[in-house]
Amino acid sequence: MDERRGTQLRRYLVMLVVLMMLAVACSTGEVPAPQQEADEAEAEGGGSIEVAAVFTGEEKKSFQAVLDAFSEASGHEASFTSAGDDMAAFLGNKIEGGSPPDVALIAQPGLVRSLADDGSVIEANEEVSAALAENFAPVWAELGSVDGTLYGVYFKVSNKSTWWYNIEVFEQAGVEPPADWDEMLQTAKTVNASGVPWVSMGGADGWTLTDWFENIYIRTAGPEMYDQLANHEIPWTDDSVIEALETFAELVGDEANLAGGREGALQTDFTTSVNQVFTKDPAAATVYEGDFVPGVITEEAGAKAGTDFDFFDFPAIDGSEPAVVGGGDAAVALTDNEAAQDFLAYLATPEAAQVWAERGGFTSANQNLDTGVYPDEITQRSGEAIATAEAIRFDLSDLQPPEFGGTTGRGLWLRFQDFLKNPDDAEGIAAALEKDAAKAFKKQS
Amino acid sequence: MAVLFLGPALLFVGALVIYPTLDTVGQSFRSEAGAFVGVDNYKAVAETERIKTAIKNNFIWVATAPAIITALGLMFAILTERVRYSTAIKIIVFMPMAISFLATGVIWRVMYEPSPELGFINAATGLVYNTFNGPGAYPDAKVLPDVPLEQAKPGAPIVTTEEFTAGESALIGLTAVAEDDVPADSVQAAAPQAPADGLGVVVWRDFKPGGGVPGELEQGEIGLPGADVEVLSATGEVVASGTTGSDGSVTFSGLGEGPFKAQVAESTFAQGFAGVDWLGPNLVTPAIIGAFSWMWAGFAVVVIGAGLAALPRDVLEAARVDGANEWQTFRHVTLPLLAPVLGVVFVTMVINVLKIFDIVLVTAPGASQDEANVIALEMFKTTFSSRQYGVGSAVAVLLFILVIPVMFINIRRFRREN
Amino acid sequence: MAAAAERLPGEGSRSRLGRVGRALGRGPLHLFLLLMALFWLTPTFGLLITSFRSSAASAESGWWTVFTEPRQLTLEPYKEVLANESLVQALFNTLYITVPASLLVVLIAALAAYAFAWIDFKGREPLFLLIVALLIVPLQMALLPVSRLFGNLGIFGTIPAAVFFHIAFGLPFAIFLLRNFFIGIPTELLEAARIDGASELGIFTRIVLPLGMPAIASLLIFQFLWTWNDLLVALTFTASDAIPITVAIQQELRTFGANLDIIAPAAFLSMIVPLIVFFAFQRYFVQGLLAGSVK
Repeated sequence: MDERRGTQLRRYLVMLVVLMMLAVACSTGEVPAPQQEADEAEAEGGGSIEVAAVFTGEEKKSFQAVLDAFSEASGHEASFTSAGDDMAAFLGNKIEGGSPPDVALIAQPGLVRSLADDGSVIEANEEVSAALAENFAPVWAELGSVDGTLYGVYFKVSNKSTWWYNIEVFEQAGVEPPADWDEMLQTAKTVNASGVPWVSMGGADGWTLTDWFENIYIRTAGPEMYDQLANHEIPWTDDSVIEALETFAELVGDEANLAGGREGALQTDFTTSVNQVFTKDPAAATVYEGDFVPGVITEEAGAKAGTDFDFFDFPAIDGSEPAVVGGGDAAVALTDNEAAQDFLAYLATPEAAQVWAERGGFTSANQNLDTGVYPDEITQRSGEAIATAEAIRFDLSDLQPPEFGGTTGRGLWLRFQDFLKNPDDAEGIAAALEKDAAKAFKKQS
Repeated sequence: MAVLFLGPALLFVGALVIYPTLDTVGQSFRSEAGAFVGVDNYKAVAETERIKTAIKNNFIWVATAPAIITALGLMFAILTERVRYSTAIKIIVFMPMAISFLATGVIWRVMYEPSPELGFINAATGLVYNTFNGPGAYPDAKVLPDVPLEQAKPGAPIVTTEEFTAGESALIGLTAVAEDDVPADSVQAAAPQAPADGLGVVVWRDFKPGGGVPGELEQGEIGLPGADVEVLSATGEVVASGTTGSDGSVTFSGLGEGPFKAQVAESTFAQGFAGVDWLGPNLVTPAIIGAFSWMWAGFAVVVIGAGLAALPRDVLEAARVDGANEWQTFRHVTLPLLAPVLGVVFVTMVINVLKIFDIVLVTAPGASQDEANVIALEMFKTTFSSRQYGVGSAVAVLLFILVIPVMFINIRRFRREN
Repeated sequence: MAAAAERLPGEGSRSRLGRVGRALGRGPLHLFLLLMALFWLTPTFGLLITSFRSSAASAESGWWTVFTEPRQLTLEPYKEVLANESLVQALFNTLYITVPASLLVVLIAALAAYAFAWIDFKGREPLFLLIVALLIVPLQMALLPVSRLFGNLGIFGTIPAAVFFHIAFGLPFAIFLLRNFFIGIPTELLEAARIDGASELGIFTRIVLPLGMPAIASLLIFQFLWTWNDLLVALTFTASDAIPITVAIQQELRTFGANLDIIAPAAFLSMIVPLIVFFAFQRYFVQGLLAGSVK
């Protein structure tokens, strides 16, 4: 018995060791490969960079195409590395280990600022700022700078003033896209009566609610006040904030307007909030969010632009001027690498934007990009809006200190969820917001 | 000589376990810039909401998961002892142990999908729920304001506010019924010809493109077949009931003079099972504990099973000979003898649960990750995401302090055994 | 392979079918155990089915609909994953991290365990108690300082970084386990060898290692599975083209539903090797577990 077990064991172990040896042998054969490639590239006079971004799926493929195009145009090698879903943790970890990626695409200006403060990002060179000046409205260079020093190029941006609707539901209810806020409330009543609630809200993700507020605020208070609020030059208890909240309450105060009521909205995450509008049995007629919504729709629910869904601009409130709230991913250099600067400069060109624009799911603020290259009329419209907009403002919550503007369960995200729970309490919410903001800004200075 | 044998081990343990541990303790009293800040970092730990949630969740984990897993293990070990295919069952339950936390997380995210159409758990729950409580024909239907109908609360019957006498017809126009939810055989709604000694009722979709006039039965508005209609006497008793046809109408005869009211019954508005959002903010921690228990039950089964096999047969036999029944034998003989083994399983699980990280990171979707937060995860996020090295280190030290009692148990046990 | 794993328990019960039939009197017990077994298999089975569906299909209906509509099943997700260079690279990286980490832990721990068991030296007792104490140090205590250390050494983000960390944190348990086993080797055997003039190294390789094989095998398997399945260490210490499959999958989780046709097959591929090891060496795995359920 023991004898048999012994032999069996020995056979297993021999097998295992052979397997392991094989693996080690393979590994020594393969590991140096990337290094070799890099050396070859270097030999041709090009550098090599690693670019980190949070893209997955289609976005990753499209961004890879941009990297390939860059390699071809510049002779540098560029490789993609995924940052998972938490860019801040990814960079924090890699910086601490002394090997950050050469370039990272960062969606939170607050993160760029904190990296700039401790010297982890590298200033963009002349070439980059020249390319920016040539192709972008000045606002984008300002947004890419911290305290007057340019670090980032906003390569991929989003128009966050687009309101998406299910065309079939609109047809069944016999309504047209509303032109202003009051008309919108009227349309909502009709659509509700048709059996489909007016709007789907992804309240479980606090950021969708801040986007709502920003669009309302820029229309009720105007772009100048918006800037002041963004910099906390006026308090959150300001009358203008109360007014915007009360306007917001006109919509969310009536539970019938929301898919699943307020309770349902609070439990719906962004992806679900989009897809439940565009499935076969829609839970709502519309969903408001940025122009990245089609990316979510086409992937999961399979609806088609133009025939199944379309968007209208966020409606004007009391005759407000057209305004766009935008966001974006800024490419910043994290290593002192010539090729990294070349890459930033390349991202600022219309050629780079065109590579991804043609593939869809992408909006550029590049003014010299021919909007004809967008694959459909919808992206074209939202792209034109952002490239030509006069009153364009960056997503306000992204400009706040992260613990106030971009953290689950805190600050803006939490307070707007509280507001959705209890929309009658505009004053109380404003007071709570001011308390949080004061704390966050004090810490920052 | 000993140095030769111990050298490599001491090098690795010294450089990568002991030194960093001391360094982290040091860092927890310093700021990011390196200045000594006393217990400021620990104060931040005590004050930060996210970290408090993490600590609270870790307590929930410790209070539930080890007990659940030990109980599951005991149950399986005892039950499988009685059947001949015990090995097969043990292998099945044990198999998840070979799988990574990551794969477990992925597996259970698929299981926990909130829609009953996609998630197995919700589909199974829905199957049971709908057997007793199936959805009505028009679960979302409502009444428009300013029409002579009332509904006490969503889901309650919709009753006419007016009274009718024999030979009349009651109009019940419902709204918020999506066109897709109306059966395909539905046709233009029409008020029925009421019998002289009874009542006619029509239930229809009081909406046409653009809205239409509330309360008015117009051309282009369709009937709602399949609605359960009841006729109420003046005292509010149900005197007749029926179901609407394809034009939304139904008639009742032989009722007498009246007056009557008509209502669409509650059953028409019953909500079917909509699915539980297992990984939503409220249930995420229990849900992940469920997945974790699935993974680790096998460990408990194997260890407790081995303990059970090692029990002295004669003691058990003696108990049976003395006339103890199965339960008494289990309660008074088996359980006390197994206690040390159960203790080992329990303590092992406590340590595992205190350090829980991967499964939470993977299973909790972004939207509820903060509600699912645990200490080990918070340490990673504070350190690398927020780059608060001092606070992050303090969180790590907190975790260390929590496992120290177990460390002493280990040392004492080791000393006793030698 | 995974399918074979699913089938295995069934085969066991089939061979005993006759006896099970006779035991039908205890119907409720059997029914209960059958249901529990099904419940334990369902989640893994669900992922297996999901891994053969497109993500569009997974967004539309549950995996169990394949029983009525088997046409949904497709090899496409696996083709995609196997054609994806970075995922394949990640699978190999897992192997490159796991193999050396497992072998070296066992080797280094065996040496140390021998010293603790059979070589008399000053401070043996307290040093071993220290090892026992280190058994449960959370690795969170080391993440930040070791990141910096590896950064200074220039190996942060590489495969060796993960290997070294796994070795260090695997050692206390490994030493503890092996020392407890080695100490049970009959003294006479060692005495005899010493009298024959064998060196300590000779005794170690010719007597202790062969006799210690059962424990070493258990440990090897334990360490292999532990390292293969790790996420946290790799997430912290590896980067770009050195990441193992667990990290590569974790990076796809941001859009779970849309990427399910990558995540599910990749997760299943990552499970194959541990499941083979598990089924092939189950006994040793269990032994290791019983010996060391203190970690």
